Amino acid sequence: MTRRAAAALVMVLLATAGCTPSPAAPRDPGKVVLPVKQVEVAGRLYATKSRTLYRFSGAHLVKLLTGVRVKDPAVNTDGSQLAFAQLQEQSSTIGISDARGDNLQTVTPAAGPEGKLWAFAPRFSDDGQRIVYLSDRGKQESNPQNLQPNDLAVFSQDLAGGAARRLIAPIPYTGGDSDPAFRPGANDQLLYTTYLYGGAPLTPVSRLTWMSLRTGARVYLSPDGARNFEPAFSPDGRFLAFVRAGSGSDDLYVMSLASSFSREPQPEPSEAATLLQAGIVSQPVWAPDGSAIAFLMLVNGSFDLFILPVATDAAGSVHATGPAKAVTHGSFLDADSRLAWSP
Amino acid sequence: MSHPGAAGVPRAGGLRRAHWILLAAIVCGLALLGGVLFYLSPVLALLDNHDLSPGKPLVTPAATPPPLDSKQRVNILLLGSDNDQKFAQDAVLSQTMIVVSIDPAKRQVTLLSLPRDLWVAIPGHANAKIDLAYKEGGAPLARATVEKAFRIPIHYYAWIGLNGLIKVVDRLGGVDVDVLHPVLDDNYPNDFSDSGYGTERVYLAAGPQHLDGRHTLQYVRSRHGDLLSDFGRSVRQQQVLLAMQQRTAGMDLVTALPAFARDLNGHVKTDLDLVRLTQLMLFMRGLRPTDVHQAFITPFVRDAVSPDGQQILQADWPAVNAYLRQLFGGDLLP
Repeated sequence: MTRRAAAALVMVLLATAGCTPSPAAPRDPGKVVLPVKQVEVAGRLYATKSRTLYRFSGAHLVKLLTGVRVKDPAVNTDGSQLAFAQLQEQSSTIGISDARGDNLQTVTPAAGPEGKLWAFAPRFSDDGQRIVYLSDRGKQESNPQNLQPNDLAVFSQDLAGGAARRLIAPIPYTGGDSDPAFRPGANDQLLYTTYLYGGAPLTPVSRLTWMSLRTGARVYLSPDGARNFEPAFSPDGRFLAFVRAGSGSDDLYVMSLASSFSREPQPEPSEAATLLQAGIVSQPVWAPDGSAIAFLMLVNGSFDLFILPVATDAAGSVHATGPAKAVTHGSFLDADSRLAWSP
Repeated sequence: MSHPGAAGVPRAGGLRRAHWILLAAIVCGLALLGGVLFYLSPVLALLDNHDLSPGKPLVTPAATPPPLDSKQRVNILLLGSDNDQKFAQDAVLSQTMIVVSIDPAKRQVTLLSLPRDLWVAIPGHANAKIDLAYKEGGAPLARATVEKAFRIPIHYYAWIGLNGLIKVVDRLGGVDVDVLHPVLDDNYPNDFSDSGYGTERVYLAAGPQHLDGRHTLQYVRSRHGDLLSDFGRSVRQQQVLLAMQQRTAGMDLVTALPAFARDLNGHVKTDLDLVRLTQLMLFMRGLRPTDVHQAFITPFVRDAVSPDGQQILQADWPAVNAYLRQLFGGDLLP
């Protein structure tokens, strides 16, 4: 490098130092940070950070299941049981515990004849007797010379009997389906996100999918060529909060759902959805009384926990009744891990 | 009335003071120079790392960089490949080829991915997949191949290895990415295993999330679980580039640059000079997400089989050229 170039660089750097603000790059503080003005959480709200499970309740924050690497917590209707994915090296299983994180049981295998297995995203049925979850059980053996798909499928498991049943076969080489949940008050209906490819040329697409467990019929609630995902039922099962990817954003929307399963919901109901929160949002979950929606949102380089108060108006649509309030600040919570909320 | 020392010969005390001042100035100057050199040394070491491997043919690129103060478009060829112990040094295919086209006049950047399986003419060689150019002739041949096939003038190149990407993402504190599909790969190459030939299982959930360097590499590199294979991977690579650009937007480059350079030494090769690199970083930092455009030639290629039986991509060159004219206007080579 010439002296002239070095001198020019130094000038550029000095100019940069002198003329532009220099905020430090956001860094993971390694712990959950609460804002100075704390937000009280009604009931018990569960989230993970660095695969550690935390419970937010009132102004208290409690770490649960010490020593277990947790993803995708779920809670049953009365809040007495937790379900979650336990991450191990190259595999994961579904664990069930009481609300304190004690009496831990593992209800899915870490490996089978087909090799090591994944299990994620459990959700309870209303009566707490069943869970739906994601797994790659039943995949074909795969190696670099003979590659086989290992997409995640939706399974149902009776917690008393332990029998697992695959409900939906994934579309190969899409990664599989995600976000399964029983419909509250109508556990013969299931909602999840289907991942596929659409448009021309093919691009990644995700569609909200409604399934009747009674007949096996499935319908899309959102259009092809768009990315709608992470659906979350309101406690009464009437509404769905979900995330819609836009140009550089992942916004929180809410829509209503017909009371009984319909084969032909046209046009797709998501088209009439209402925007609740713009930004980079993930993992919405409703308060047990339906008065708020919690979600993770990217602010200043960190995914933090927010609570948005909502209400249903006379016309039967959901709207925000105030701004979203930050429960955490600069905490880098795990945005790929679901939230759970119980009374 | 004259004052002693007011004119002509200074007093002895004044002379001594002048000497001390001069000495102090020299010491300060040397200290400043030392500090600057100390500050710059990792950056200079990084930029010394050119791809001039002995034994590889030197192909003179068609393009000459525009002057620093011009408003002319600058094109940088980004190359990425394995650099683990499986292969001889500098004898690797390029897994990633992205032309970063910077238009300073319009404050716009276009990212154009070139599929690695595209069948092209490689200067001095038989027709082959475009990823072979880097293996046969390093960055000079890769850039000459791109210039010949696409008529895009390549002014600079930057090559980054696997570890380099991990380190730069970790130095940024991770990146925030909306993962487009769940990523599942039971046969992801574990290049960091002892043999370099191992595989590991990878899972990334879909949706917005924060990725560290290791998981970012998994996201941009995995293709076994993607129906779109290499095209899907190109989309993900561009997504991560955008996320990295957004992450640098709030950074203090003065303190960050040497640390980046230290991390990347040995994992990056480039012919960008220091002034241009700094200028580009400052330019990129000021961009808004809407200033960056993603481009793919995927609609204009089709699967085919080469004369020697390889699965390749064959371009519809008139359609590709028309598309490139849209992107680059009159800035293409004749």
